Amino acid sequence: MTYLNAVDPAAVAQDAHLESVDVVIGKNTIIFRRFLRNKTAVAGLAIFLALTVFSFIGGFFTEWDKETIDPFNIGMPPSADHYLGTSQAGIDLYAMTVEGTRISILIGLVVGLVSVLVAAVYGCTMAYFGGKVDKGMLFILEALIMMPALLVVAVATSGGGAGLKRDLPSWLLLIIVLLVFSWMGTARLIRSMSMSLMQRDFVKAAQYMGVPPRRIVWRHLVPNIGSLLILDITRGVTAAILAEVAFSFIGIGIKVPDVSLGVLIGQATSQVQTFPWMFWVPLTVMFLLTGSLAMMNDGLRDAFDPSSSSTGKAKKAKARKIHAEKKTA
Amino acid sequence: MSSETTTGATGSARPDVERLHVAGLHAASDAVLSVRDLNVRFNSENGVVHAVRGVDFDLMPGKTLGIVGESGSGKSVTSLAIMGLLPPTAEVTGSVRLKGRELLGLSDKAMCEFRGNDLAMVFQDPLSSLTPVFTVGTQIMEALTIHHPAMSRTAKEARAVELLAMVGIPSPKDRLKAFPHEFSGGMRQRVMIAIAIANNPRVLIADEPTTALDVTIQAQVLEVLHTAQEETGAAVVMITHDLGVVAGMADDIMVMYAGKPVETGAVDDIYYNPRMPYTMGLLGAVPRVDAAEKSSLVPIEGMPPNLIHTPTGCSFAPRCPLASDACLDGEPPLAPVAGGALHRAACIKSESLGGTVDVHDVFTAPPVPLSRFDAIPRAERSTVLQLKDVRKHFPLTRGALIKRRIGTVKAVDGLSFDIREGECFSIVGESGSGKTTTLLEIMEFHPDQDGEVVIGGLSNKQAADAKTKGRMRRELQMVFQDPTGALDPRFTVYEVLAEPLQNAGMDRAAIRKRIMELMRLVGLQPDHVNRFPNQFSGGQRQRIGIARALAVNPKLVVLDEPVSALDVSVQAGVINLLDHLRAELGLSYLLVAHDLSVVRHISNRVAVMYLGKIVEIGAVDRVFDNPRHPYTRALLSAIPVPDPQLERTRERIILQGDLPSPLQAPKGCNFATRCPVFAALPPGKQEKCLTLEPPLEPAASATDQQFACFFPDGEMDEDMLVVHEPADHVAP
Repeated sequence: MTYLNAVDPAAVAQDAHLESVDVVIGKNTIIFRRFLRNKTAVAGLAIFLALTVFSFIGGFFTEWDKETIDPFNIGMPPSADHYLGTSQAGIDLYAMTVEGTRISILIGLVVGLVSVLVAAVYGCTMAYFGGKVDKGMLFILEALIMMPALLVVAVATSGGGAGLKRDLPSWLLLIIVLLVFSWMGTARLIRSMSMSLMQRDFVKAAQYMGVPPRRIVWRHLVPNIGSLLILDITRGVTAAILAEVAFSFIGIGIKVPDVSLGVLIGQATSQVQTFPWMFWVPLTVMFLLTGSLAMMNDGLRDAFDPSSSSTGKAKKAKARKIHAEKKTA
Repeated sequence: MSSETTTGATGSARPDVERLHVAGLHAASDAVLSVRDLNVRFNSENGVVHAVRGVDFDLMPGKTLGIVGESGSGKSVTSLAIMGLLPPTAEVTGSVRLKGRELLGLSDKAMCEFRGNDLAMVFQDPLSSLTPVFTVGTQIMEALTIHHPAMSRTAKEARAVELLAMVGIPSPKDRLKAFPHEFSGGMRQRVMIAIAIANNPRVLIADEPTTALDVTIQAQVLEVLHTAQEETGAAVVMITHDLGVVAGMADDIMVMYAGKPVETGAVDDIYYNPRMPYTMGLLGAVPRVDAAEKSSLVPIEGMPPNLIHTPTGCSFAPRCPLASDACLDGEPPLAPVAGGALHRAACIKSESLGGTVDVHDVFTAPPVPLSRFDAIPRAERSTVLQLKDVRKHFPLTRGALIKRRIGTVKAVDGLSFDIREGECFSIVGESGSGKTTTLLEIMEFHPDQDGEVVIGGLSNKQAADAKTKGRMRRELQMVFQDPTGALDPRFTVYEVLAEPLQNAGMDRAAIRKRIMELMRLVGLQPDHVNRFPNQFSGGQRQRIGIARALAVNPKLVVLDEPVSALDVSVQAGVINLLDHLRAELGLSYLLVAHDLSVVRHISNRVAVMYLGKIVEIGAVDRVFDNPRHPYTRALLSAIPVPDPQLERTRERIILQGDLPSPLQAPKGCNFATRCPVFAALPPGKQEKCLTLEPPLEPAASATDQQFACFFPDGEMDEDMLVVHEPADHVAP
């Protein structure tokens, strides 16, 4: 009696390959590889990183800064002196764009990351404990949703928050206000997702093993809604950047002398005809910023999703080859 | 390409044409459904999956064909291909003829003329196959309206009532206006059957119609299918993985493996004279409820082949213990074997596998493991778990603003039992009988519980602090029903197994060592620890679940339907593993299962639960061979046995109806409403059942058996007994 394991050489080879590779591949490597496979996402990441780097070191390439007025170049188009031209007041647009991009990215990242983190912890806690805790926390959440964010922002950054305004720069104030009003929707979504996860056996298994609640929330619930969190971070960053632009545009966000992309766009709208560069440059930067994030979104989701159909390139190519062979046969 | 859907249309398909000629494309003109060379291919990310590879069969009017095989063998895809319900991306070739008319290649619209009319289907999951927003009556009448637009409303209503009565739904006229959620699972499956037979179909395809149901309900539904077939004279294609279910029903069997039929023939030939090692393996892997002797089950090692690669040899060879080099030389065709007239098997060694060859000679079953506790009498072993009068009542409230208590659901009502070292104790019963609640009560381990749970000397009454709970968790671990859901998809196997160990405060090096030990213990390759659960098969995942439960060296493992989600062949391996671990590690098990065959095979003692109470408890051989309580008798008689002759002559107790809703729980004996003995009792004695609650009393002979019934020897009601006429089912 011979026991035969090796029948299909292709399957055996595939198995051997799997075994040799699998032992060394870590989870993070797999996620990273999957992300790299999505070309659009990689391009998005590259643009976003380039913009971030630009916003930090861009200032070293010009001698002008956002406060110095050049009395000889007022409202001039791009030139060798001023790479992107100057504003009506004679301030270098390049310097202002660098500064504005930095403020916008800062606001976006801080608000996007922190609000999703708050939402995740808040939502998972609600779902895990349930009952009275859930009810109380849900009430706070609903109350915050009811509050008119626009009015609060206007009051905080303009009239009402005089004391606050003295102590805090306007961008930090805006971050705080945006944070308070940006996490509720995500938290509610996360709550419902975690509630369905709570019904899954692996959470029960962990409970029966005696794993403390804090650990279950952190190790089982949060990672399993991970793809949603990642998507929400990129979406949250985009939303925060857009909110900043919108608030600054209508004059209740960032206040001069602080600069942001929103402030620049807002100031330039009345003069699109006369000083087009003042309008188009910050607008392009804003599009690049939000667009690159949107491009990353898709790739990130694929990378984190364990059931994603994103398979190895080698496999796909092989399948195509086999298919082609079949057709010719 | 349209030419692909009609056989023999192109010159390149010449081998097919010749093959079909041999198989007889136009043979059996009286066949109501004839399938020839059916092939189904799916495009997937990894390549082309050839899911069905050349299925041929003829179905005669009024006959039943059973298609058997493990998951992924192409059974369901075959049925969907016949119905024309596969997604348009699937490539279907071959020929499917219904009463001589070709069905393949018809447009979806043209198929609608046949579907639900001549060709009807009953699906697996009755819970999701009815639309929740329409009444049952509307849905039955819809089936009638589509194919008989001229039918009047009153005629349709009359027909719907008639259909509901035919499938055994009480007071059908009133139930017409009921919504699906007002029916239980078994009732919904009956409604599905009613819809399927509404237009007197010629062919009824039932895809695992009873897999989602309880055994008692399964018996009812199979009975209904049987009557439906008799009433309409339809031919039935019965798809199942359970060889027991088809044994009593089918005339012919087709065993499928890797998308190909590997053995076909009359039911007796397949069961008593299998000629293909795979069929033999399937038969040997099923535990028998009627067999007391203890022998290991026969697992079929390995996994079904990947259908992306075209097999160069026999597709079963990698798992076949008899495989030799000759088996790898081309796929063996389905060839006639000596014996049965239409018996054919795809194995080059079929001639040497006559009726006398025992499956245990072919497949190497592991030796029966012996525990060191087996020699010690039960009374002398220490107790690992004890339940004393455990109760779990849920209040039933109504009212939106002010909640009024309108009743109590007694999910668990005064349960007491104990489990000794090295013993497997099982709880059986229908769903809703409180098995799972009992498990949850044990796992909960809270001082506020009603009743006392003692685990390894620790009582829940003292479990106020986390430390005692932590100690209890080390004594008691759980294995879940669904191996996929029980493993965090984002954890590698290493992380899964490390979690309980980290929690127990072990250091890194010790965890690593222990995990390698565990992997070997449950029969997995230690170097697979870095894989994710979705890279394993179902059986392997359940092994990971078992390894996790064993990580902290518990004394007692709670098994919640550990094999019900697995295929028969894989199931045998897991059962053997559990048996082996119990013996080797001296474990005790608390097993909850609805499959009584598995219970019989693995356990030492068994408790039968009905509506939160134990109605019979004792040593498994005593209870199963000599059941005293009518409910136990009914449960046992409902289990299908993979033995066609026995199955045909067996007396079956068909319980009327479902579990009563807890609100209408009777005052006296819980079971009185469905009891076949009660129904046959004279009114004077019935009074006793209705007013007094029977206590759990030891059986007359002083053995390990207790039951709760006043009239265990009472006559059964004739109406509830079903014996199939032997002549009914014999194949021509």
